[in-house]
Amino acid sequence: YRDLHTFELQTPTRLIEWACGNRVCVAGYGQSDGNEILQLIPPPTLLTKETQGLCPERDFKVECGGFSERPVYSLKYVPDTSLLVTSGPPDSSLQVWKVSAEDSDVIKSVSTLATENGAGQSWAKIATISARAPWVLHGSRLNKVQITEVESRKNVYTAASRGSEELSGLAFLDCNTLLLCCATGQLCLADIRQPQSLMEAMSVPSAPCSEQWCMGTRHGAQGLELSSQPVARLSSRGLLTLTDLRKTSEFLALAKARVPSPGSGTEFLCISWAPALEGYLAISGFDGTVHVYDTQRWDNSGREAEPVFVHKGHTFGGAGGDRDLPLVTVHTWHLQKPRTLLSAASDGSLHVWDWVQPCGKC
Amino acid sequence: MPEIKVTPLGAGQDVGRSCILVSIAGKNVMLDCGMHMGYNDDRRFPDFSYITQNGRLTDFLDCVIISHFHLDHCGALPYFSEMVGYDGPIYMTHPTKAICPILLEDYRKITVDKKGETNFFTSQMIKDCMKKVVAVHLHQTVQVDEELEIKAYYAGHVLGAAMFQIKVGCESVVYTGDYNMTPDRHLGAAWIDKCRPDLLISESTYATTIRDSKRCRERDFLKKVHETVERGGKVLIPVFALGRAQELCILLETFWERMNLKAPIYFSTGLTEKANHYYKLFITWTNQKIRKTFVQRNMFEFKHIKAFDRAFADNPGPMVVFATPGMLHAGQSLQIFRKWAGNEKNMVIMPGYCVQGTVGHKILSGQRKLEMEGRQILEVKMQVEYMSFSAHADAKGIMQLIRQAEPRNVLLVHGEAKKMEFLKQKIEQEFHVSCFMPANGETTTILTNPCIPVDISLGLLKRETAIGPLPDAKKPKLMHGTLLMKDNSFRLVSPEQALKELGLAEHQLRFTCRVHIQDPRKEHETVLRVYNHLKGILKDYSVQHLPDGSITVESILIQATAHSEDQGTKVLLVSWTYQDEELGSYLTSLLKKGLPQS
Repeated sequence: YRDLHTFELQTPTRLIEWACGNRVCVAGYGQSDGNEILQLIPPPTLLTKETQGLCPERDFKVECGGFSERPVYSLKYVPDTSLLVTSGPPDSSLQVWKVSAEDSDVIKSVSTLATENGAGQSWAKIATISARAPWVLHGSRLNKVQITEVESRKNVYTAASRGSEELSGLAFLDCNTLLLCCATGQLCLADIRQPQSLMEAMSVPSAPCSEQWCMGTRHGAQGLELSSQPVARLSSRGLLTLTDLRKTSEFLALAKARVPSPGSGTEFLCISWAPALEGYLAISGFDGTVHVYDTQRWDNSGREAEPVFVHKGHTFGGAGGDRDLPLVTVHTWHLQKPRTLLSAASDGSLHVWDWVQPCGKC
Repeated sequence: MPEIKVTPLGAGQDVGRSCILVSIAGKNVMLDCGMHMGYNDDRRFPDFSYITQNGRLTDFLDCVIISHFHLDHCGALPYFSEMVGYDGPIYMTHPTKAICPILLEDYRKITVDKKGETNFFTSQMIKDCMKKVVAVHLHQTVQVDEELEIKAYYAGHVLGAAMFQIKVGCESVVYTGDYNMTPDRHLGAAWIDKCRPDLLISESTYATTIRDSKRCRERDFLKKVHETVERGGKVLIPVFALGRAQELCILLETFWERMNLKAPIYFSTGLTEKANHYYKLFITWTNQKIRKTFVQRNMFEFKHIKAFDRAFADNPGPMVVFATPGMLHAGQSLQIFRKWAGNEKNMVIMPGYCVQGTVGHKILSGQRKLEMEGRQILEVKMQVEYMSFSAHADAKGIMQLIRQAEPRNVLLVHGEAKKMEFLKQKIEQEFHVSCFMPANGETTTILTNPCIPVDISLGLLKRETAIGPLPDAKKPKLMHGTLLMKDNSFRLVSPEQALKELGLAEHQLRFTCRVHIQDPRKEHETVLRVYNHLKGILKDYSVQHLPDGSITVESILIQATAHSEDQGTKVLLVSWTYQDEELGSYLTSLLKKGLPQS
């Protein structure tokens, strides 16, 4: 490590979202109500390029917070507005909140975007964009995907459906193109200008037993067409695939991560691209570790890949016995500092770490 | 309604000048008397004119309580007691009483000698002020006067820091001062019992921080020291005699042992003696671990830490030195600093806040050319690092304390109101208590609901419990009785017993109503008609026709007589006692409607 800071949140979080002004947002996902949404100001050490050792300001500050009656599983800021959207069980409706940090430190609940709640609806996955207007893309299943305008609550797009598989993630590739990832691993593309068009799907290598998949898309890259960036997918067995959306007939790369076979935990599978390091991505959700990989070393064979770095910090936090080993719930990369990541675990710990390339390349 | 009034004193919203006035059941208590370290003029003192415009404050305050020896909690005490004027008792714990005067004197020296101020308290004032101090032990109930009592609880944070409970009758307030809910290497965590005060006053300055873990901070500190020593540099750590110095010593000793380091660590002798002395006095104030070690050996018999001699400062090679005073404003630490400042391989680590005007403050602000005595310029090439290990409660800690004490109301001090809205809501939602955040100078009034204990007579208790189902522990049970207030006692007895004790006879109130009924027949026939009528309607009641010609409905009596002037009209006399009012009225209106034709 070049640097490691550990913090403890009052309740664990399963999301870490960046907000403008270098703010970080976390939220509780406990079963009872009284879950808190916290917008934090990271300590100055994390905001500057050089690492400082004994800087006096080393703590996160809670800038503002809100109370949610339901567990918060997903949260996204709506760009160019002071709003954010959350989702969580028991149904697929969304909650809209307003952040006004200068006036008060309470994040206020503004409205609820209800969805028709069919049976078997789990919580909605969300993505936001503010190209034509502040929009939120949401849905819990493939046949329930829609885009709603946040302020007017009008529905502006409903996806034609090809099935009712559960979704594990969705994203805006640009202001017209959507990418949806099913829990079964299928990727579907849709163009919102053609609402009735069928979506193209790309599948994953077939597996003997059912596994869950999630995806990671590269964002933040300036001047590059997002649809030209490869999409990474991670399965609960540790399989990793890279796909170029322009050439979907074959995989760009295929690899396997060395992970323990999953117990019950496929809930926290997380894969993300480094915004400032070409070709690097990180995965977590299998245990108390976060793995960093250099995908440029991968090929098509599906062999086991060696991680460039493994963050084990969370495994040392657990106070209880074996059963109490904390599970990493989410991780995210720092937007500017190339090797800095933030990760959170089920014991409430929040780590900020900066790893060093082992073979000297920096 | 009985109430408790709280007013934080002083002008401005900054941290750094704790002084709170509490008015409870007619008693006035001042909590802490701090100095604001950032100001050079009168703004550094709390505004005492709030209590009274002129004259001494002795008559207006029943007592003053100081929570711990940090200057922002006791720095204005000599000014308050000797220059404004107060002769009443000042309460603080034993360690605080021992350490306060040292810090005050130190501070006075810097302000007057170094900065040349004139309107400041003198050494004699500090001594006179301390003569008014009454030291208290933890968990010892101290009677300030017949009605007011106080009790100190362990607060962690620094040696001798305490939280105080102030009680008058059954109203109480708990003031936390600065406290810490997580134990560290040399102090335990704050603790309070379920005393259920009407009000808990808590500092909330650190409520919005999520702290970096101690391990990380310590690891970074050790890294810096190690790096400096490895390259042959010298590390100077200016400390105050007690507190963090012990922690850092223990930390370094363990690290040196583990890494098998050879560089010498020194601790200046003046410090050792003083520190040892204080620790012996106040061993109960440190945590379990230290107590155990102290019993086995002398606090400062470290393997790797030796006593310092002035001459060592000139020795070549790496070393680490702990020296006083903590802000580099005089004495040994300043001497060593001057010797080492010119070498960039060396490092000075400032462990805490430095008052303006001290060398410590200047170098932390970035100054690298300092003017010393005799117009000498000192160029500072050594590395300057700052690290703070001070322990305060964060939001989680505040919630923990509230959970422990179970107050009915919470009041937060030292935070900007609009930035505390979230914490206020959090407390209100979780504990269902009211949360207040007054600004300095603003008075908050908290209404209390004092419980008045009343003795209940055995007879009444037996009677009431015999009626109805057994009382539910969670639901209040309604009882009827008579409250007797005699001398200073309150007793609840049955009405009969009350009458007996007071020698009064019970009055009986009886109402009689006349109802006219048209009926030419004889009286006893009318009575029969009435009886049959009532019997038919009032099926749930006991309706009887007595041999003397009257009718009873429960305990209500109905008699018929002929009207004196008109034989065709019968007059029914309906008579009932006060207890049967409802039934009586009902019967009357029923009879007024007339009898059915038979």
